[in-house]
Amino acid sequence: MPRKQRFDRSRTCVKCKVNLGNLVIRHAVYCKECFTPLIASRFRHAFEPHINLVPAGPRRGLLKPSGDLLIGFSGGLGSTVLLDLVHRTYIGRTFRKEVRGGKEHPRNDRVWTNIRVCYVDISDAFPEMENRTYSVQKAVETYEDFEFVLVRLQDAFDLRWWEKVSGNSSTLSSSLGIDLSSEDLLLSSTSPPDSTPVSAMRTYLTSLPTLTAIHSTISTLIRLLLLYTARSTRSSHVVLGTSLTSLSISLISSISQGGGFVVPQTVQEEWVPAHIEGHPESRAGKGVVRLLRPLREVGMKECTAWAWWNQLPIPGKQRIPVPRHTIGDLTKDFIVGLEKDYPSTVSTIAKTVGKLAPKGEAGRTCAMCELPAQSVVQEWKSRISIRSFTGLDPSGTDASNSLAPFLCYSCHTTLTSRSSRGTGLPKAGGIPALVAPPVWSQARLAQKDHADAQLGTNSLDGLQDRGPEIWETKSLKPDEMKAVVDEFIL
Amino acid sequence: MTEAPTLNLKIEFGGGLELLFDNKRSHRVALPPPPPSDTQAAPTDINYLIQWMKDNLLRERAELFIENGTVRPGILVLVNDTDWELEGEGEYELKEGDEVVFISTLHGG
Repeated sequence: MPRKQRFDRSRTCVKCKVNLGNLVIRHAVYCKECFTPLIASRFRHAFEPHINLVPAGPRRGLLKPSGDLLIGFSGGLGSTVLLDLVHRTYIGRTFRKEVRGGKEHPRNDRVWTNIRVCYVDISDAFPEMENRTYSVQKAVETYEDFEFVLVRLQDAFDLRWWEKVSGNSSTLSSSLGIDLSSEDLLLSSTSPPDSTPVSAMRTYLTSLPTLTAIHSTISTLIRLLLLYTARSTRSSHVVLGTSLTSLSISLISSISQGGGFVVPQTVQEEWVPAHIEGHPESRAGKGVVRLLRPLREVGMKECTAWAWWNQLPIPGKQRIPVPRHTIGDLTKDFIVGLEKDYPSTVSTIAKTVGKLAPKGEAGRTCAMCELPAQSVVQEWKSRISIRSFTGLDPSGTDASNSLAPFLCYSCHTTLTSRSSRGTGLPKAGGIPALVAPPVWSQARLAQKDHADAQLGTNSLDGLQDRGPEIWETKSLKPDEMKAVVDEFIL
Repeated sequence: MTEAPTLNLKIEFGGGLELLFDNKRSHRVALPPPPPSDTQAAPTDINYLIQWMKDNLLRERAELFIENGTVRPGILVLVNDTDWELEGEGEYELKEGDEVVFISTLHGG
């Protein structure tokens, strides 16, 4: 059977209808000349309507962001293309070419006063990783007017970094430790014995139950490090180089890991720092950091062609040296394979998932990932799983000291869901009894303790009032299982 | 039957694929004609080039370059600066002086 051709109609460019095409993008043929404005306009279309506090259309003359711009740069393909597009559109040749109506005309003011490029160095996460900061910094310095900001993954466990970005040293007088061995994630005010942020980070990562958890935790730490850096540099927007393909991968992978409630935030997020949460200011959008993905309409193939035709040096993203058996890696292999034969389906994934909204309002913010969370994770879990109620003494688990009620479903699952295979990684310093959570989680928990102490109540009283309900795992015979689910079977 | 001539080609790698090919981004190669099969002359197409590269140029981890007789998903191939999907992919018959570029799209976001 003859192979089906991968483009519609003819080999002529669908836009200019004159030149022979150079690239097939989801069955449509584009020539090199039309490819450049196509990508530039997709970038602006996905980015500019979200620059103003209140959307005011895509016209540049009206763009007035409330702060600076922070670009999250990983050294990978997407972020390299993003860096180039931001530079072309707001600083470089294209921007200067568009100046009209005299130099002093307000329309020609620069949209962004300062643009910073933040690189999160993750090389200390595992001893065998290579530090690529130098090559990344060199790549950033090839562009004029970008300020390079270096953050290290271990900063998430560094009290000095926290004091610097939060401007508040009083919230973390004593550090907390979590016991990852139980589902309740019991908290202890005894701090773990790790002396440096690097050892605290390594203990935390190697104590996680699965390889998937290690990958998703590193992504969460990078996201929060970027957001706190944005806040400390007075940036109102953070942009990431997530392409359409990467977005489809993250959406499917996040949903598979229990992140269904935050599907809208996986595409675009408005992050409210803890200190202004609930204030009228934050409701008006002041102090809020917008995390955007301006390449969400540009596939990985187009990014590759852009980087190749513009000769962009790609320093390369750091790979985490653990086996590729994670949900993220499996999803990536699936989506990339799918894109080869069915390129439009990958776009459909992102567009369809982008329309989903979670059922119900978010009750609070997760202490770990700072994304919206359902009110009580345990209650929701009780509705989706079979539980047994026995007369066991619940005093063994003290819910008032548990981290679980402050987490979203996804973070709770990340910290507690075990695999029969484990991670296969050597534990830093044996099996630790306690691990230190990231600094922002400690600050949130300390804040809640402080508020509870002032009110003279315990925020978990509500939970404790539900009675002596505890988790129990026991094996059931097929008949017993059927009896339990019988009333739900149609 | 006249034997097909040896073709001089320029092969380039991008996106980290060069690491599999001696860390050299650009190669000039003389591609010998494929061995004739019993019934007809085998074409000097990109499928043949990929196999030839696997046997003669590739230094490590073939699974990162080749899958089911063609390049792995996630590798963009340009023939004379044009997407190989416009040229018939692996069935494109190579000509003297052609430039073929292999770029990995999988170097992160």
